[in-house]
Amino acid sequence: MAARDLGGRPVLESVYSVIALVFVLVACAELCDAATVVDVYRLIQYDIAGAPFGSRLAGLNHHASSLHFPPGADLSRTVLVIPVRDLNLGYVKDYLSQRQPLGGLLFLLPQIFSFESKESSGNGEELLKNIVMELEQLLIHTNIPYPVYFAFENDDINTVLADIKRNDESGQPATATTGGYKLVVSTTEPKKVASPVISNLQGWLPGLKADGDPNQLPTIAIVASYDTFGAAPALSMGSDSNGSGVVALLEIARLFSLLYSNPKTRGRYNLLFGLTSGGPYNYNGTHKWLRSFDQRLRETIDYAICLNSIGSWDNELWIHVSKPPENAYIKQTFEGLSNVGDELGIKVGLKHKKINISNSRVAWEHEQFSRHRITAATLSELSTAPGLFENTGSLADSRNFVNEAAVIKSVKLVAESLARHIYGHQGKNIQIFADEGSLAVNPSYIRSWLDLLSQTPRVAPFLSKNDPFVMALKKELEEHTEEVILQNEVLDGMFTFYDSTKATLNIYQVASVTFDLLLLLVLGSYLIVLFSFLIITTRGLDDLISLFRRPPSRKVKTA
Amino acid sequence: MTVFHFFNCAILTFGPHAVYYSATPLSEYDTLGTSVKAALVYLGTALVKLVCLATFLKVSENESFDPYQELLKALIGFIDVAGLYFALTQLTHRNISQNHKFQAVGLGWAFADSVLHRLAPLWVGARGLEFTWDYILQGLEANANLVFSISLAALGSLMWLRKNKPKTLVPIIYACAGIVATMPSITRSI
Repeated sequence: MAARDLGGRPVLESVYSVIALVFVLVACAELCDAATVVDVYRLIQYDIAGAPFGSRLAGLNHHASSLHFPPGADLSRTVLVIPVRDLNLGYVKDYLSQRQPLGGLLFLLPQIFSFESKESSGNGEELLKNIVMELEQLLIHTNIPYPVYFAFENDDINTVLADIKRNDESGQPATATTGGYKLVVSTTEPKKVASPVISNLQGWLPGLKADGDPNQLPTIAIVASYDTFGAAPALSMGSDSNGSGVVALLEIARLFSLLYSNPKTRGRYNLLFGLTSGGPYNYNGTHKWLRSFDQRLRETIDYAICLNSIGSWDNELWIHVSKPPENAYIKQTFEGLSNVGDELGIKVGLKHKKINISNSRVAWEHEQFSRHRITAATLSELSTAPGLFENTGSLADSRNFVNEAAVIKSVKLVAESLARHIYGHQGKNIQIFADEGSLAVNPSYIRSWLDLLSQTPRVAPFLSKNDPFVMALKKELEEHTEEVILQNEVLDGMFTFYDSTKATLNIYQVASVTFDLLLLLVLGSYLIVLFSFLIITTRGLDDLISLFRRPPSRKVKTA
Repeated sequence: MTVFHFFNCAILTFGPHAVYYSATPLSEYDTLGTSVKAALVYLGTALVKLVCLATFLKVSENESFDPYQELLKALIGFIDVAGLYFALTQLTHRNISQNHKFQAVGLGWAFADSVLHRLAPLWVGARGLEFTWDYILQGLEANANLVFSISLAALGSLMWLRKNKPKTLVPIIYACAGIVATMPSITRSI
């Protein structure tokens, strides 16, 4: 345990002598002496209207086993360690649907999903991404009565896993009677998050009001939701959904603030920038934000553009609307965008999806605007509406799968078409935000914000009221716009969340009980042999025998 | 079963001392006082050694073998011998024969050594879940140390307590005493 180098031994010996004097205090010491310590991230635990989903337990204290366990083994007190690379999704699906008892699950994610790894995505990684997405959807929508954790692969845990596989294949799974590896996560039981807060931010860029004009200027709103939801809330960075949207919004705000800072180039439109929360939960935050508008503001909004997932497309973007395409504003917006798109080499398609008022599911942010009678459209790379908790910035959505160039092109598209509409240059071939100009899109701004967003988990119930990230967004908006308002609301009561999202896993290599018993037997016999040896050599054999013959000799005496 | 492991290692480390005391005539002559006094002398010796080491030794940056440092460490090891001399000759023991005196002193010495050097690591480390062979090795070391201490005490009593030694054996005794006294330094440098 202590360093036994030649130089340190005498000093260490003497130091130990002093420490031994106060060993009474040491009685309270509990050292962590595990073979390996790993950061693990727990599967989310939540209820929708009382129905439980996700992993319901947090504490873990069981033996580890790999997928090569001997068939028919009882796994109710073992943790299955599964690397996602070798995952057989059908097998996991069967296991979960049949509700077989299990001590716990530990999924090992390849390094490409962590921010530190800078590998670029190739074909193999796309397959992995799809597997992880499917796994997440499966886990999120199932009620799992044992702990489920995610960890990143590293050398330590890979050697441990190889050891476990070797033991399993030789027919000796780790249990209490044989030795093996034990996984321990000591953490408190998860508690409900009381009144989860969602914070909406808005920034206002006022337009140039002509003197003597009593009418209010029209407003154009640009909105993006910044929060995420995923299987592991501590890992839900959401680089594409919706980190790309947030970054694009900030860059557009920056460009227009440059234009609007000079009264000569200030447009005749107000610009309203909105960063909303509560996106995965049927855009609850957007609904509350819109509800807080006063009537006059609502009437002046011409239309709103919502940005959602614009970071990993090749050459096709979609505009999703809920009002029929014949609507004047929709037509105008779509034509503006597709004209600019043609110039930039982007194909812009239009998709119309009617809102069903009776259905509470809100798949796109613009649907909330439509329900509040504001014309809106969503710009996205997704061609179909995502289902509940799909494409909400989960595990698989890591920085390595986002393309900065795509975000830059999206910013150019939206900013150009907006500017042409504001300044009345529709149809003219003018590049307001040309590259190499002073109003060029700044790639390093986009890259640094994208990197920041890819390192910040943003699941709304786990963001505190004055969370530093939200404050940073507020500060950034304040730099580009005037009048920034932060609105705190409570998330809709239909969703309940439980805390305990991150923990440390200790992996111990334990000896079996039989080993301890064997050792006790050996030591006992050693001490008995020593005892007999010493009695025989110092007092003689007769004394040893007399130890066992005392009672009869007394009887002889009395008789 | 980690307290179990601690218990196992504890009886390996401290069991032989108790067995030695009860198996030999030491228990009949009630020499516990002598052993306790020897243990206290060991404690004093250890403190003196600590102070000397801290004062005279330099902490070397690299692992090179420095003969002067090793010589210094061996010399400080002789403080051990001085302590044993003090325990054998200067302390007042009850009227027990020399035969039993050296055994009691050696036993007390070895027991104090085990407790001071091995109890703390054992208590803190062996109770954890992780299994290592370290504590069993430590226990075996304690056993070897018991034999060593008793033999050193025997040689010491031969040198200082027995007045009528056969002339021919005197140099052999001193040579053996010298070897045994420097044994710790030799085992450390292996």
